[in-house]
Amino acid sequence: MKALFFHAEKCVGCKLCHLACSSQNEQVFNPRLARLKITSCYDRNGLTVEGKTCDLCMSCVESCPVDAIVEKNGRLAFDEDLCTDCGLCVDICPHEVIVGKDRGIGVCVQCRSCVNWCPTEALTFEEVNK
Amino acid sequence: MAYTGNILRVNLSTGKAVKEKLNENWAKDYLGGKGLAIKYLYEELKPGLDPWSEDNKLILMTGPLTGTIAPNTGKLAVAAKSPATGTILDCSIGGHFAPELKYAGYDAVIIEGKAKVPVYLYLEDDQLELRSAAGLWGKGAHETEHSIAETLGDVVTLAIGQAGENLLPFACISSELYRQAGRGGIGAVMGSKNLKAISVRGTGGLKIPDIRKVSMALNKIKREDTMDEENMWAYTDGTPMIVELSQTTGILPTRNFQEGTFEGHENVDSEAVKGVLRAKKACFACPLACGNYVEKGKSRVEGPEYETLALCSSNCGIDDLEAVIEFNRLCDDYCLDTISAGNAVAFAMELTEKGIHDFGIRFGDIDKYLQMPWLISNREGIGAELAEGVSSMADKFGGKDFAMHVKKLEIPGYEPRGSWSMGLAYGTSDRGACHLRAWPAAVEAFGDLDPFTIEGKAELVKDMQDDNSVKFSAIFCDFWAISTGRMAEILSIFLEREVTAEELTTIGERVYNLARLFNEREGFTRKDDYLPRRIYDEKLTTGKTSGKNLPFEEYEKMLSEYYALRGWDEKGIITEAKKKALNL
Ligand code: SF4
Ligand code: SF4
Repeated sequence: MKALFFHAEKCVGCKLCHLACSSQNEQVFNPRLARLKITSCYDRNGLTVEGKTCDLCMSCVESCPVDAIVEKNGRLAFDEDLCTDCGLCVDICPHEVIVGKDRGIGVCVQCRSCVNWCPTEALTFEEVNK
Repeated sequence: MAYTGNILRVNLSTGKAVKEKLNENWAKDYLGGKGLAIKYLYEELKPGLDPWSEDNKLILMTGPLTGTIAPNTGKLAVAAKSPATGTILDCSIGGHFAPELKYAGYDAVIIEGKAKVPVYLYLEDDQLELRSAAGLWGKGAHETEHSIAETLGDVVTLAIGQAGENLLPFACISSELYRQAGRGGIGAVMGSKNLKAISVRGTGGLKIPDIRKVSMALNKIKREDTMDEENMWAYTDGTPMIVELSQTTGILPTRNFQEGTFEGHENVDSEAVKGVLRAKKACFACPLACGNYVEKGKSRVEGPEYETLALCSSNCGIDDLEAVIEFNRLCDDYCLDTISAGNAVAFAMELTEKGIHDFGIRFGDIDKYLQMPWLISNREGIGAELAEGVSSMADKFGGKDFAMHVKKLEIPGYEPRGSWSMGLAYGTSDRGACHLRAWPAAVEAFGDLDPFTIEGKAELVKDMQDDNSVKFSAIFCDFWAISTGRMAEILSIFLEREVTAEELTTIGERVYNLARLFNEREGFTRKDDYLPRRIYDEKLTTGKTSGKNLPFEEYEKMLSEYYALRGWDEKGIITEAKKKALNL
């Protein structure tokens, strides 16, 4: 199985990955709706770069009481018709990368738009547990 | 959608804010950013207005591409009437503020009036709060940003430091600590309004038709054009790369523009900066990431940029990178424009060494140099004199011929005697000596053109000014050498109509002329378009520019030729025919 990997030392904090994800999956330019969270900020300690991406840990799949999120061929798939908007998956995702919406949720579907847009290869798509 | 269609107008005197419609006709003629901000100021500011009065307005303007995935479009224009020069003033600041404002639902914020006590603005989508800045006043911009972040979380903030509070004519605005709206005292305009900071959080988004297809097309453009080798210097080196270019071509301002080469250049060039580089950093939606986050000793900064290296290093005779980094950090924190600050310090050093006035500071004196940002920002000791800028210092102490400014704005890091086109660019820049209105050194001193002739320079400068005007209105970052054709292609997508390169060139020309018209209304004419006498009368003595000056008659000729090309008369006044042609 392959998943997203984040390499903080390469990230420049441009947020193009967020825009790529939200435009691909939500049809809007809105970094807050991206299914990954990359931050690059100056705080009192200097520069802090952090990235949260889906690593296919399957917590959401296991938590969903109605099987609205399933794994198919190494990718997550979401069925909005089944979803009851209980929000369990959003709360349980250890990486906080499931986007809660007015109706349904957004999970990383490995479209790799973020990887394609990242200018510095700070995001890669690689074999998990290799 | 390219525009949100909304402008937020905040009156700090009354504490009231209104949401109003963006003027669509103006948006069509001026696009956004620089152009649209100048249009609003031209229409709304009374001629002759005292820039320090509460009737001056501070405009934060985004552009039609802000917040989208179009590469290099994350910048914000910040504009007002300049308290330093009395001209129009528009600055450009990177980071992440501009898209956040757009996501909050606004194309622009217009700030009027003056708060009775220090405040900061907190804008979250439709909610605006005027919050007390009592606990922040007197603090640097860095502490201000940290402290606001601790209260409000993940907002993006524009803040001023002590220099802005103390109304220095070269106080800047900082964002994300190290990004600045730098010149002409834009930070002092905030200070004069008792406005310490503006924080925004926007949770909305921008929709356009066929968004997936558009994103794919833009990714191709990003890869093949934005990230083309021509622009990748920004990532591999950033602006410190220019130190070596300037040194080699003899246009590196040294010891208050007495020389064009600096013996200590290797200590402060790109290789030296790379030696302390910790990370590369980008503005929103920018794949070029010109920012260099460096750490040396106890000091850290995103920088130093070339202008800081030129004006605060070679121009002050300082070849110690750690000292320059610390000076840079202090300037960013207190919000001093490093170009003007470096000039003021260097001018004081020369006045002292020449025995004209003893400021007690000499070229290369690191200890005194490092005290300067604090003293200047707080108007303490000799800082009280330096805080007025080189033009006022010369009025009081002498040395007028080598007070390096145009229209009271201090000169950036390209010696005009070794780049005659830069001389014209400084002379005819809309906000006083500036390298961003046109940067002809790139193709002249650093390129193939002969730097020591006026031939073809008027046209070169005019064309670059027009191109940059539309670029900063669109808004694209300066560092993508984008063609007007490419700009037209991208704008066509977002404006959902056919935009042509010719239309954009006309917009650029219109913007530049409107800025000139603003200045004309304030009494600026040809007499204000000149350089300090040093450039005409003193010959440089080292390197490639040894024996060179920019003879006054040559400058005169170049200026007249430029006016003629612009459709301005011999006095530099825009002709009626030109105004009509540009729909001004
Ligand atoms: S969405 Fe979150 S919980 Fe689900 S698999 Fe990905 S990382 Fe795990
Ligand atoms: S696109 Fe790449 S460099 Fe830019 S923020 Fe995302 S991970 Fe970082």
